[in-house]
Amino acid sequence: MSEPFEPKIVAFVCTYCTYAGADLAGTSRLKYAPNVRIVRLPCTGRISPMFILKALQKGADGVLVSGCHPGDCHFTHGNYHARRRWTVFRALLEFTGIPLERVKFSWISAAEGVKFAEFINTITEDIRKQGPFDQYKQLIRDTESPATL
Amino acid sequence: MAKIGVFICHCGENVAAKIDCTQLTAAIGEHPGVAVSVEYKYFCSDPGQESVKKAIREHGLTGVVVAACSPRMHEATFRNACAEAGLNPYLCEIANIREHCSWVHTDKDMATIKALEITRSLVEKVKRNNELRPIEVPVTRRALVIGGGIAGIQAALDIANAGHEVVLVEREASLGGHMAQLSETFPTLDCSQCIMTPRMVEAARHPKIRLLTYAEIERVEGYIGNFKVKVRMKSRSVDMKKCTGCGDCMLKCPVKKISSEFDCGLGKRAAIYTPFAQSVPNIPVIDKKRCTYFKNGKCQICSKSCPINAIDFTIEDEFLDIEIGAIVVATGFQIQNTAMYGEYGYGKYADVITGLQFERLASASGPTSGKILRPSDNSEPQTVVFIQCAGSRDPSKGVRYCSKICCMYTAKHAMLYAHKVHGGKTHIFYMDIRAGGKGYDEFTRRAIEEDEASYVRGRVSKVWQENGRLMVRGVDTLLGRPVEVAADMVVLATAIIAQPDAKEFAKTVGIGYDEYGFYNEAHLKLRPVESSTAGIYLAGCCQSPKDIPDSVAQASATASKVLALFSKEQLEREPVVASNNEATCAGCWGCVLACPYGAIEQKDILDRSGRLIKRVASVNPGLCQGCGTCVTFCRSNSIDLAGFTERQIFAEVMGL
Amino acid sequence: MSIVEQYRTKVKELLSSGQVKMVIGYGAGTTPDRRRPLFMRSPEDADKMLLDNACIANLSGYLVSEGLLSDEKRVAIMLRPEGVRSINILAAESQLKAEQIVIVGFDTAGEELRAIEGSEAKDFCALIDSLKESAPLQAPDPLFERIVQMSPQERFNYWQEEFSKCIKCYACRQSCPMCYCRRCIVDSNQPQWINTSSHTLGNFEWNIVRAFHLAGRCVACGNCDRSCPVNIPLRFINRRMGMEVLEVFDHFPGMSESQEPVLASFKKDDPETFIL
Repeated sequence: MSEPFEPKIVAFVCTYCTYAGADLAGTSRLKYAPNVRIVRLPCTGRISPMFILKALQKGADGVLVSGCHPGDCHFTHGNYHARRRWTVFRALLEFTGIPLERVKFSWISAAEGVKFAEFINTITEDIRKQGPFDQYKQLIRDTESPATL
Repeated sequence: MAKIGVFICHCGENVAAKIDCTQLTAAIGEHPGVAVSVEYKYFCSDPGQESVKKAIREHGLTGVVVAACSPRMHEATFRNACAEAGLNPYLCEIANIREHCSWVHTDKDMATIKALEITRSLVEKVKRNNELRPIEVPVTRRALVIGGGIAGIQAALDIANAGHEVVLVEREASLGGHMAQLSETFPTLDCSQCIMTPRMVEAARHPKIRLLTYAEIERVEGYIGNFKVKVRMKSRSVDMKKCTGCGDCMLKCPVKKISSEFDCGLGKRAAIYTPFAQSVPNIPVIDKKRCTYFKNGKCQICSKSCPINAIDFTIEDEFLDIEIGAIVVATGFQIQNTAMYGEYGYGKYADVITGLQFERLASASGPTSGKILRPSDNSEPQTVVFIQCAGSRDPSKGVRYCSKICCMYTAKHAMLYAHKVHGGKTHIFYMDIRAGGKGYDEFTRRAIEEDEASYVRGRVSKVWQENGRLMVRGVDTLLGRPVEVAADMVVLATAIIAQPDAKEFAKTVGIGYDEYGFYNEAHLKLRPVESSTAGIYLAGCCQSPKDIPDSVAQASATASKVLALFSKEQLEREPVVASNNEATCAGCWGCVLACPYGAIEQKDILDRSGRLIKRVASVNPGLCQGCGTCVTFCRSNSIDLAGFTERQIFAEVMGL
Repeated sequence: MSIVEQYRTKVKELLSSGQVKMVIGYGAGTTPDRRRPLFMRSPEDADKMLLDNACIANLSGYLVSEGLLSDEKRVAIMLRPEGVRSINILAAESQLKAEQIVIVGFDTAGEELRAIEGSEAKDFCALIDSLKESAPLQAPDPLFERIVQMSPQERFNYWQEEFSKCIKCYACRQSCPMCYCRRCIVDSNQPQWINTSSHTLGNFEWNIVRAFHLAGRCVACGNCDRSCPVNIPLRFINRRMGMEVLEVFDHFPGMSESQEPVLASFKKDDPETFIL
């Protein structure tokens, strides 16, 4: 039998809530799947849709975006702005054929270490089931192939 | 050419048990731009830090990545170490391979690969890090305290006693606020005036405090350390420099039947008046709406009676412009008008009064000189019913929240009544007794056990008059049956609500407020006295209902924040702030709207002859808090955030 | 008097009275069925002006040409209702002052062209309100419906095939009144967020980012779609964005010059069912 597919997942998180929640998962020694790479940002308001596209270009099979719950934003309302952008960007991804199962959004507070660990496990399993994002990877491969004249 | 040093910390066994550090060190050492990569048992230890410093000097490193615990643990430690070795501290990044890797994964191979990718991506990031310097903002070391109640006075005194100038602004004619109206205070039953008036006098006499009463804030501009405030000095029509406060004018004034605000309508005052006998300053004002002279142009009796000609009807409002470094907002509260409870008969029956009116009755300086007398016939009530939560915790008619102080003051009222009217009976209708606080539960127990307050758990449905008495019908939910009491007086524990102009005032000052008009703290738990605007702090009931000890504690906390701010001539701020590329900015102002701090302004770019070429956005680093919401909004990619620049994050993602 | 004559007279009057320094309208194009923008500076220029059903381009983008409005003199422009909405957005985004623009409005009713009343953007509020009301009722486009019905894989393939044709000529950007940035994000190379090569990945990134930047701002004038030399149905992506902001945020772009940009504002109770 072949090895199980290990998806590559990139997470963009705010430093005040979700990053701290991930720290708490660590200090609580919770165990979760090792497939996620975290990029730390000051606030979800700083998370640009470009980051998600670049993560896909870097070969991510899934992307996760997470920050403080509404009302909890350290910067008072960065997450409200982020939420609007995500709503619109999700519609765009969906319409252009990027499966929404591959781009997930969540609110995880600094106290929710358990939620963080469980969330990573769930999303990893979900994306494992989806398999590698071959369609996008083909685009990436195409960039390296010589142009046809 | 980048020369990055990577320092891989074993953290004892914490990292090393789950990550093959030797393999990681070797692999990252191969990465382009990595000049040195070393592992060590504890890099946070003294010798560990020394080895980082040594490597920086020996290899002339241009950047450092420490792969260790969370940056929330030791980022500051290693950034300081870098600075000590002559490397700009912002050229140091932490790869979190402990909390985010070794502690949470069981498969050593997978964990090692993950650790490598995390570290690699931060090496790529740090290659693009820029040297940053803390932002220095000058600080005007003068505080503005808005509101002269107990919170404002406390904050002003604390700041002034530390040696800094304070401007204390009160919109009424006297300091004192609501606390001056109270009779005795829970849980000690010490007289409110006895503890309040000395503080008022102290604030007024303090050489560092400039007291501006009968004054309002017109405008606040600027930012932390550098506010410009315009204050309107409302005209008193009395020359403050001349007036000695003898009070002759008030005695002679023919308009005497004005219902006193201070006595909550239970007492009377003249058209020229001080709010109460112990007013600070003890200088009257003319109520221009009621004064016969201002209404008809005749009278001037006060002026004629003044032995020193201090009354001047021509004085107009004055405006003061003051430079301020920090602002304490302590604007207080009002009590809710209980007329919306038609069934309680407030406003219809003279003997249905509010808790604050009861305070005036019980106060030795009040309209009845401290005797509990019915407003209707000045007789001593033999039975008093108290209705708690007459507005609080009632989403349908009142407010959703708990006003926090009513359980305590109602218990106090029952005690004061029992002490003053021997043999009198009290019934208290309540929902819950919330007596959290030092000595508070003991206090309510004392009311029940020693002063025989009879608590009835349930709501009152109706109050009506019958045979000269007030009939109160409610329910005792513990007995599960209706109750009816014949009372001589009903006291309503009304809700604390925000000042009527709280929202407008918040906009004037530039702070946030909640749905009720209470001012928003920056963080409910961790920054409870800071507003969302840097340099503006909140004390007392303007933030949420609270009692005197809490108000005073919060006021002192604001003072400590102000003093921390004033402890330096220059304010140093983390340089994680946005900046705009004016050449590419399209001037759409999306960032201006999106910024939670109002830190982005419009800036005119002029040519040499002063003609406008274009308008661009400009970030004020004094106000910017570094969230980066503007960066994400910017379509032309003109705004960027230091420490988390577009280049850095791009590199970080592409390094994964 | 035909509508063309009527409008030529109007243009002449505007120019000869000095009310405006220029009128932007339509002139003959390279083929009989095409129209070009016509920049009329003197009353005589109005004789070259055309107005018929071929006048479909949204000309509002020309208003933000460097320097045109900096002398504060008024400029008139012939616009369909969506063009008026563009003016409102440009005003809301401080690219122009609405009162500096004299609008010569027209619209198609059935087959006929008709004049619409009003001379400044604010005069068209009722009309734009009614457009918002009728927006969800628009006749469905069969191809759009088909794309919506596809599985994600099919949709991905559909768009990749369309985007593979893109030659990164940026005609879409050039023709779009909303693409007024002095430096487009695609031209920013520190970092190079969008691959500039016209391989499919680069094309995908370009088109998706442009659509995102137009979300809540696109008035569906169709300039990009018509100008695309390889016929990528760009209108569909923008329409999908328009549907989203209308449904979720009740935002119809270009309602007034004081309308807040949908992505620079928020409500605390914005829907968030997708956030876990």
